[in-house]
Amino acid sequence: MFKKSLLTMLGFILIISLLAACSEDNATEGSDESENGKDTVELSLWLTPQWKGVLDGSEEGADYDSFFKHAAERFSEEYDEYNVKINVEVIAGDQRDEMLNVNLNGGTPPDMFFESVFAMGDYAHRGALVPLNDIVDDEAKGDIAENYWDTVTFGDDIYFYPFSHMPGTLVYNADMLKASGLESYVGGEDEIKTWTLDEYEEILQGLKEGIPTDQYSNAFPMGLFALNNQADTWNLAYLRMFGNEFFDENGNLIVDDENGAKAAAWLKKIYDEGLTNPGAESVSSNDVNAMFQNQQLGISFTNSVLYNNLKTDMENGTINEFDARLANIPSESGDPLSFTYVTGTAVFDTGDETRIKVSKDFVKFFSSDPDLVKSSKNGVPVRTSVADLYKDENPLFAAYDQNAQYMFSFTGNVPGYSELRQVLYPELQALYIGDKTPEEVVADYQKKGNEVIEKSKADSVIFNQ
Amino acid sequence: MKKNHHALKRNLTGYLFITPQLFFFCLFLVYPIFEGIRLSLYKINYQGMSFIGLENYKALFSNPVFMKATVNTIIFVIAIVALTVVFALFVASAIFDKNAKYVSFIRGSYYIPVMVSMVVMSMIWSFLLNPANGLIPFLARELELPVVNFLGDKNLVLPVVIFVTFATNVGQAIILYIAAMIGVPKELFEAAEIDGANRRQVILKILVPSVKPITLYIIIINIIAVLKIFVVIQLLTGGGPNNASTTLMYFLYNNAFKYNQLGIASAVGVIMFIIALLLSIPQLRAMFKK
Repeated sequence: MFKKSLLTMLGFILIISLLAACSEDNATEGSDESENGKDTVELSLWLTPQWKGVLDGSEEGADYDSFFKHAAERFSEEYDEYNVKINVEVIAGDQRDEMLNVNLNGGTPPDMFFESVFAMGDYAHRGALVPLNDIVDDEAKGDIAENYWDTVTFGDDIYFYPFSHMPGTLVYNADMLKASGLESYVGGEDEIKTWTLDEYEEILQGLKEGIPTDQYSNAFPMGLFALNNQADTWNLAYLRMFGNEFFDENGNLIVDDENGAKAAAWLKKIYDEGLTNPGAESVSSNDVNAMFQNQQLGISFTNSVLYNNLKTDMENGTINEFDARLANIPSESGDPLSFTYVTGTAVFDTGDETRIKVSKDFVKFFSSDPDLVKSSKNGVPVRTSVADLYKDENPLFAAYDQNAQYMFSFTGNVPGYSELRQVLYPELQALYIGDKTPEEVVADYQKKGNEVIEKSKADSVIFNQ
Repeated sequence: MKKNHHALKRNLTGYLFITPQLFFFCLFLVYPIFEGIRLSLYKINYQGMSFIGLENYKALFSNPVFMKATVNTIIFVIAIVALTVVFALFVASAIFDKNAKYVSFIRGSYYIPVMVSMVVMSMIWSFLLNPANGLIPFLARELELPVVNFLGDKNLVLPVVIFVTFATNVGQAIILYIAAMIGVPKELFEAAEIDGANRRQVILKILVPSVKPITLYIIIINIIAVLKIFVVIQLLTGGGPNNASTTLMYFLYNNAFKYNQLGIASAVGVIMFIIALLLSIPQLRAMFKK
């Protein structure tokens, strides 16, 4: 009898302890008082891989989170209102939306996210971010050009504090071009070479016929990819090659016209003629980037940070050294197609005023501290003061600046851009496998894309303010 | 009434022992099912949710990608389950009565892929099949054979995914069949031998009927597993080309985590639940008949 009672009691204790463990109060998480009398605030900052190191990748132990860990350390020392602990987490680019959606729906978004603005604009439309107008002062407005502020402004409010930008271009293996008898097309080391569309096609043909197979085994002229939405901005740029404007003034897609269809037909043509890697429909941008690093591609895509990382990896001996130079995406008109990713930090609406305030203070701190903003040289600085400081060290800054006149806004700041991205690559796959004609591809993309935009406009807090 | 009360009192300890498990079962399995059904009737965004009745279901049935995903999932279920059962039966019946060491070797060989993570397997297959820098297309180019993009051809991508999934999972079924076949009474085989039955007759008339409960079990667990097929799609094909290899689970994942359409995703979940239930009922009934 005693044994039975004991078992019954133990059973109850077990259940009660389990229930107690489950219902432990989480309300105090993030802030509590410590020895120096100041409250402690614990924040999280997420970023996708950008540059390695604090100031550059040559530092010992340089990694993607080095800069933010260093900035957090300094902020903790210098901030006098709270003790601050900042946890920095690097998230893979293709996992960003999954991670954010799960955490947003679970009520545990990160406090801050450093990322390309184009990929995060949806979260502003969804009401998940807080405006940062109050931390942008006149000094910042004076130092950062107007067009960058336009990129980070949704409706009337600023949602991202711009830090640097990453112009997207093509990158080519100058050694491979020379080995294929195409010396005359090779540009200068610090130049972003502009080819006409005819020249570009000649280069691709020249590479196809001329790449010496003993030197470059399994190599192809150009990298083409459509497995998923990663690096789709280059695919969007290719679709503008024949003059298509992409968005109308109401933010709707207008790719379904003669120019759009011509661009799609051009992609299909170079693919069919073997001027690109095979199987573009099941090759990702990561594959293409790796192939370029392995010298299996003559021409590939890049942005300023990817290009710097490539150079650093060559210096470190991580990959074999070769002469990689930049070129513009050509167009039929002869003017290059140019775009840039503005990167910056957004603050999420966690519902905790203290955390939001400290997060904003931290964002302002590392986005305006004279020493810390120097790290923006790993991309291209948005601050004129920093760009001026490093223009001699990095002559490409001037070349990027020269390109600014050809810049197009690839997102149109439309709501639902994340979902819109999911619509493009299946259409490109259909194009490459011959399931649809170029005309059908642009028509279907426009139809499906505009449905996404329409639906997202209805849900956007910015459109329905 | 008194008897019931007495029985309850007598079994109280037993009930108390299963209470924690029951609590977590209800919390993590039963409650989410009902919550999923509820969410499928709502339009959900970050600012809140609004009841929209069956609109999510209507939207799904007019979505060609969803219909494609449903057809693909059914093809996967039928092909993978049939292949698994037939191949596992073939291997198990061929070796179950052989030398114990030999049986262990075969069993181990087929079971190794089951132990390797599906992620690793998918990446290895991706390395082999990637049309631009994969090993198989590279060798084909070197040998000047025609190069086929196994992952980019809409007619080949389903067979490839079926083969990869089947090759990874079949070990489990082989292990179960061998165990069941070893347990079949020897007298039956001896009697058949005396009656002059050949090996084929022994297998078809004795072995296969004897392991019927295991067959039913394998069919059910494989149906449920294949309905949820996801990792191989995500890592190998990304649902492509042009949604040719999209499955219901992949479609659900995209809606839930990429497009943040939780209502639509929940509706897909409910439909998958109903399909799994419908497909499993005949087997479950057959299983519990005896």
